[in-house]
Amino acid sequence: MTSAHLNTEFEQIRGQLKSFVLRITACVADAEDIVQDTYLKAAEKIESFRGDSSLKTWLFAIASNLAKDNLRAKKRWTEDVTDICKTAAMSNQQFFQEAMQIRSISPQGDFEIKEHIAFCFTCIAKSLPLEQQICLLLKEVYDFKVSEIVQIIDNTEAMVKYYLHTGRAKMINIFEGRCALINKEGTCHQCSELNGIFNPKQKFQEEAVKIELVREAEKTDKERLFDLRMQILRGIDPFESGAAELQLHHLEHNRKVMESFLKKNEV
Amino acid sequence: MSATTSNGKALTTKTTFSRETAVSIAIQADASIIWSLLTNANDFPRWNSTVVSIGGNIALGETIQLISTLDPKRTFKLKVKEFEADKKLVWGDAMGNRVYTLSKNDQGHTVFSMTEKIGGLMFPLFSGFIPPFDASFEQFAADLKKEAESIMKAN
Repeated sequence: MTSAHLNTEFEQIRGQLKSFVLRITACVADAEDIVQDTYLKAAEKIESFRGDSSLKTWLFAIASNLAKDNLRAKKRWTEDVTDICKTAAMSNQQFFQEAMQIRSISPQGDFEIKEHIAFCFTCIAKSLPLEQQICLLLKEVYDFKVSEIVQIIDNTEAMVKYYLHTGRAKMINIFEGRCALINKEGTCHQCSELNGIFNPKQKFQEEAVKIELVREAEKTDKERLFDLRMQILRGIDPFESGAAELQLHHLEHNRKVMESFLKKNEV
Repeated sequence: MSATTSNGKALTTKTTFSRETAVSIAIQADASIIWSLLTNANDFPRWNSTVVSIGGNIALGETIQLISTLDPKRTFKLKVKEFEADKKLVWGDAMGNRVYTLSKNDQGHTVFSMTEKIGGLMFPLFSGFIPPFDASFEQFAADLKKEAESIMKAN
């Protein structure tokens, strides 16, 4: 394996690596640093790469290890992150001023329901234990096989299956209880509330039913609804989409709120 | 006492000063999966229909707060007394201990065994107030087998 191979492969998956690490750390700066460090580490060790896995799997293993050591990745949020951050945002005029400015002038300042669904998953998945979150992302969003995840996180197949099963089950239960898009009794209406703020002329319901997850909500089971949610995530690059700047601004806000919340509630 | 066969049927033996219930079941899953299910406190109610909730950390020396469907108004404060990964877990209080063990059988399956012995000099005074454990033990073992095997079979 040569440096040229590495450079070619790295450039092809850089976007995936960056979004993967962002979804773990919820921090743009840390995601950029970790992806850069992944490249440096891979370049340093490329001579010893034996091809026991694909180069992509190897690069994700390096990124995954670096992310696991990241302090922000280690911080676990709570399931009610969206409630906590909503309360904080409501009393933070500057947050909405900045967001409205991004909305009006940025080419990546659209508000789209699908983007918010992906954003919401990133926030809530940070309530899972870190290993579960990493395995779930690798399988459901980045399409790795169980055998590849075993190599990436350097654990047994049994434990990878355990993390995947438990993480998925927990996320399904959380969304079933919270997400008003799929459950009329759901307590979280942030998609429609934010759509009303950023797209005041739009009729939310008309927009929402364009999304398969919403259309299928009443007639399909929760496992399938989770798969449809993951399909949305797979289609969105949080750094490159038309809503990227608005959603990244929101994510930075939520991260700061949660860091402060966790600090205040430290045992 | 221990359950002699791994068929998921509970067995209770009583003496004047103690009562012991045991169940054993063969599970086609890695011991590490079963161990993870048994030691992840807040995940218990998702797969185990005999548990309302478990608070705290299931780790050596820690105290957990267990609410069982057998007596949902009562919270049992139990200390984790033994914790040997993939092999043995014991929690209990002054009245008795719950022992979980994992071993391999001849077919290479994991055998899960659960035993609880309660007793002491005062046991005859309160034994009439303690409900039988048999049905709950069998349900616990069946739930664990179902969950562990479905994880093992997943792709």
